[in-house]
Amino acid sequence: MEMDASGVSRAPISVLPAAEVKATLKPEADKPRCSSTPCSPIKSTVSGYQILHMNSNYLVGFTTGEELLKLAQKWSSPDNSNTEALPSPIKKPVDLSLHRASRIYKAKSRYYQPYDIPAINGRRRRRMPSSGDGCLKSMVSGEPSKALHGPLPLCLLKGKRVYSKSLDYLNLDKMSLREPADTEVLQYQLQHLNLRGERVFNRNKT
Amino acid sequence: MAEIQDRGDLRDMEVWNGFISGGGLAAEEEVLLDWKPGDPVTPQYVLMLPGYTDGEDTTHQAVYLFFLFFYCDTFFSLLLLVMCTDYLCSPEDNVYNISFSRFKIRDLEGGSVILDLKRRCSTGDVIELDAGRFIQYHFSPTFLNLREIGATLEFTVGGKAVNKFRLIERHYFRDLLLKTFDFEIGFCIPYSRNTCEHIYCLPDLDSHTIEDMISHPFETRSDSFYFANNTLIMHHKAEYSFSQGLELNENQT
Repeated sequence: MEMDASGVSRAPISVLPAAEVKATLKPEADKPRCSSTPCSPIKSTVSGYQILHMNSNYLVGFTTGEELLKLAQKWSSPDNSNTEALPSPIKKPVDLSLHRASRIYKAKSRYYQPYDIPAINGRRRRRMPSSGDGCLKSMVSGEPSKALHGPLPLCLLKGKRVYSKSLDYLNLDKMSLREPADTEVLQYQLQHLNLRGERVFNRNKT
Repeated sequence: MAEIQDRGDLRDMEVWNGFISGGGLAAEEEVLLDWKPGDPVTPQYVLMLPGYTDGEDTTHQAVYLFFLFFYCDTFFSLLLLVMCTDYLCSPEDNVYNISFSRFKIRDLEGGSVILDLKRRCSTGDVIELDAGRFIQYHFSPTFLNLREIGATLEFTVGGKAVNKFRLIERHYFRDLLLKTFDFEIGFCIPYSRNTCEHIYCLPDLDSHTIEDMISHPFETRSDSFYFANNTLIMHHKAEYSFSQGLELNENQT
């Protein structure tokens, strides 16, 4: 039985000894290999895992939390601000994930210079992906991996040991007031500031 | 029972965590009503969560309020909008030292193995424990056409027996709960290596939702809650992408 939003039930499970699990595997037909992704039966390793099998027809890849943090540290390091364009087999990134990833790095990246959108009726318009693409393309060509993973998940930013890193990561204290920024980025950063303030306030109450 | 008591190697009955005596288990109804912030997280608690856990710590208090107002319909819909906190337990809560050594998923209808991972001992830099509880999957859109998936977990157990080992996994797309899976693995003896396959029947989704999931990578997420004796001991998270490779979709705006 399974459970959906309307009820609770238990799903059936089958407990198999490891040997039987291997015996029930059907041989898989040979599939063309893609050079950009690990394919069976090549035994490759990813951040503490050994890939015994991966079917690229269904699974393009995966990224562990450790890898994401390493990438984030790499992206936020000062040495990485002048990253040269890296050759990549990927022609065009997913625009949405890139847009989300760019929200995190706008405050720091020297390559990204969004133009100021004039306010209309007191409200700033949301920046459309089609405008200022020249800047985005340069960032994309230099760091395509940023677009692949989206923004760093909050659960990694708020881990006990990485919390201080997340503040450095956002560079809130180094952000220049003169630096143009998208409204969404400011709202996101302000949200972090407000939440920190609330926590301090609650502690003072006790 | 008498036969077990005669065995010299079973001196410490507490090691078996109530498996034999059946004790040490809180009544599920009492846990539900008496829960307050700081209490152990129970299966009933996570089944009442309104959404994916990615909020701030203050939402623990919000969930507490949720139970307070549970019987007051006026506030019920309001509280459903409250997002929950991130991890509901720390890595140190895994007092049973459960470690996943292998993970495999396969298509049950076609029989093909999709992914087979074996964990290796980590070397080099110290890895943050929270990072070890998170993973991103990059599936192709064809993955959403699958109907049944078998996920095989191989895990080892430390020196304490695990009683009523249970996995509750909840999958979301944004604020929409796609499906909840509940697997009771049962009892695991100390210092053992265990293998268990869970059968996931993918939910029937409308084409509009599927299109949204494909065009919005990593907005499909899941929480995996592991319990022993109705107490949360591990909490893992995952994000999913079903984008068409990494090519730009011109229809996206």
